[in-house]
Amino acid sequence: MRIISNMQESAFFQLSTSTTLLLLFGFYGLTFLMTLSIRQRNENVDSYMVSNSAVGFGLSAASMIATWVWAASFYASATSGYRYGLSGPIHYGLWGALMILFIYPFGRRFRELAPEAHTLAEVIKARHGSSSQLIMAVSNLVGSCISLMVNFTAAGALVSVLSPLNFTQGVLIAGSGVLAYTLWSGFRASVMTDFAQLIAMIGSAVVIIPLIFINAGGSDMVMENLWRLDAEQSNFFSTKAILEQGAPYFIAVLAYAIGNQTIAQRLFAVREDLIKPTFLTATVGYGAVVIGLGMLGLLALFTGLEPVDGNMNNIIPQMASTYLPPFGVALFFILVVGSLSSTADSDLSALSAIMMTDIYGKNIARGKPDPQKMLWWGRITMIVATMLGVILASLKLDILVMLVFVGALWGAIVFPVIASFYWNRITNKAFTTAVLVAVALFTVARFELAPMTGVTAVLFEFAATVGAGVVAGLMTFAFFNRTIAIIVGVLVFVGMLPFATGFLRDYTVLLSSLTAYGVSAVVCVLMSLRSNERFDFDLLAKRVRSFQDEDAMLRSGQATPAAAKTAES
Amino acid sequence: MKLLLTTYILVWPALSLGVLTLLIVALVRDMRAARRNGEGMV
Repeated sequence: MRIISNMQESAFFQLSTSTTLLLLFGFYGLTFLMTLSIRQRNENVDSYMVSNSAVGFGLSAASMIATWVWAASFYASATSGYRYGLSGPIHYGLWGALMILFIYPFGRRFRELAPEAHTLAEVIKARHGSSSQLIMAVSNLVGSCISLMVNFTAAGALVSVLSPLNFTQGVLIAGSGVLAYTLWSGFRASVMTDFAQLIAMIGSAVVIIPLIFINAGGSDMVMENLWRLDAEQSNFFSTKAILEQGAPYFIAVLAYAIGNQTIAQRLFAVREDLIKPTFLTATVGYGAVVIGLGMLGLLALFTGLEPVDGNMNNIIPQMASTYLPPFGVALFFILVVGSLSSTADSDLSALSAIMMTDIYGKNIARGKPDPQKMLWWGRITMIVATMLGVILASLKLDILVMLVFVGALWGAIVFPVIASFYWNRITNKAFTTAVLVAVALFTVARFELAPMTGVTAVLFEFAATVGAGVVAGLMTFAFFNRTIAIIVGVLVFVGMLPFATGFLRDYTVLLSSLTAYGVSAVVCVLMSLRSNERFDFDLLAKRVRSFQDEDAMLRSGQATPAAAKTAES
Repeated sequence: MKLLLTTYILVWPALSLGVLTLLIVALVRDMRAARRNGEGMV
C-alpha cells in the first residue's frame, strides 16, 4: 500500500495494485463460488425471475436492504449531511427507507390478486392491456439501465480514486464480476449473494463509522467545531433542508417504489405471509445503514474538510483516507463494492425478468412462451445490459435528462397503477392518457417551456397542490381505508393551496414532480368516471400464471386457465 | 449536548448491527427448516 503523490497529494490514501486486485477478484470470486452451490443445470424459468415465491424472512429482508443500498445512497447521504448539517442524513436516509415501507401494503394487494406474477408490468397487462404494460415495462427498463450504469460508474470512480488502476479498469472488473455470478441462476443468485454482500456492507460500516468518529477527535472535536455549522445546518428542523432535500425526495417515495422492478421482484419472491415483517425490517435496516454513512458527511463538516475539486462524492473517500488505517480503507473499499454489486445484480435480474416476461412472454410469444427460449432471453439481456452499462459508464455520459424523464414517468404512473388494483372502473385508455398528459405537463414545468408567471404559474401550482394531496392520500391509503385517505388528501390540498400559490413556482423540481402526480390522478379519475367498465379482479390470478406450469400443461394436452378463459370469451 | 450528538452519530451503526444480527438468526433458522424439509432456500 502506498501514499499517492500527485496534485491531490495526501487527499486520498491509495491501495496498491495487488491489494486492489486481490480485494476485487477475491470479492467476485467468492461470490461466484457461492452461486455454484445453487446452480441447476436446467434452471426453472419462474425461479430465474422470482425464486420459489417462498423465500424466507432473513434472505428477503437482507436482499431488499442490499438492493436498495446502492453506491449513490451513501455518497448522496454524506453530501446531504455536509450541505444541510444535522438533519441532512435524515432527509436522505429516512425518505429512501420509506420507499420500502410504503410499497408493502400495496405489494400485498398485488400478490393477493396475482400470486404467480413475475413483474408488475405483467399484472398491468392482465388488468389493462399492452399499452399500459409497455409504459410500465419501458419505465422499469430505463430505470434499471440507469441504475446499472451509475453503479458501474461508482466502481470506476472508487477504483481510480483509491488505487493506481484507472476508471475503465474498475468498470470492466465490476461489470464482468457481477455478470459472472448472476448470469446462470438469475434472481436466485442475486438474493443469495445479497445476504453475503449485506454482511460485508454492514460489517464494514459498523467498524468504519465509529473509527472515523474516534480518529477525527470524537465528541470533543464535535463540540469544539459547532461554530462551523451555520444556523440552518445546526437546526434539526431546518426549512432549507426540508425544501431542498427532504420534500423532493419525499415526493419521489411512491414513484421510486412503483417504478422499480427490483422491489416488485422481491414482493413476488418472498413468502406471502412474510411481506410485512420483511419490508418493515428492510425499512429500518436501509435507514440505519444510509443515515449512518451520511453521518460521515456531517463529521466532514465538523472537521472543516473541503471536498477535492469541489466534488461532493469525494467526501467519504477523503474521510476514509484521512481517518482510517490501511485495513479500514480496505474495508471501505469492500463496503462500496458490496453495495454497488448487490444493486447491479438486482438490476440485471430485473432487466432480464422484464424482457423475459413483458417483451418475450406476453408480446413476442403472445402468451405461449417456450421456457427454454425465455431463459436465453433473460441471459442475453443480462449480457447486453452489462455491455451497455460498461460502455455508458466508461463514456461518463451526463444522464441527468434521462433521469429526469424516468422520474417523471414514474411519478405519472403511481396513481394509475395503484388505483388500478382497487378501483374496477379504471380503463386502459384512462391509464395511458393520464400518464402521457402528466409527462407532457411535467416537461413544460420542469424545463420551463412556458414562462412560470401569471395564470400559467397559478394553474401549475394548483395542479401541483392536487398532486400533494394525491401523494398524501395514497400514503394514507397504504395503511388506512379509502375514506380516511380521501379526507387526508383533501385536507392536505386545502391546507397547502394558500401557501403553494405564488410560492411553488420558484421550486421547479417540486412543482413539476407534484404536477405529474396531480395531473395523472385527475385525468385518470375523470376518464374512468365516464367509463362503463367494471373489471373483475379475479381474472388477474387466471391470466398471470407460472410459465413453467403453463408450458407443462400445454405439453400434456391439458387446457390452461388462460386458454380456458379465451374459449369462454 | 455532547452525549446527545455522540448518540445521534453512533446510534445508526448500532442499529444496523442489530438488524444484521436479527437477519443472521432468521437465516440460520430458515436453513435448518429447509434442511429438515429437504427444500432449497431459493
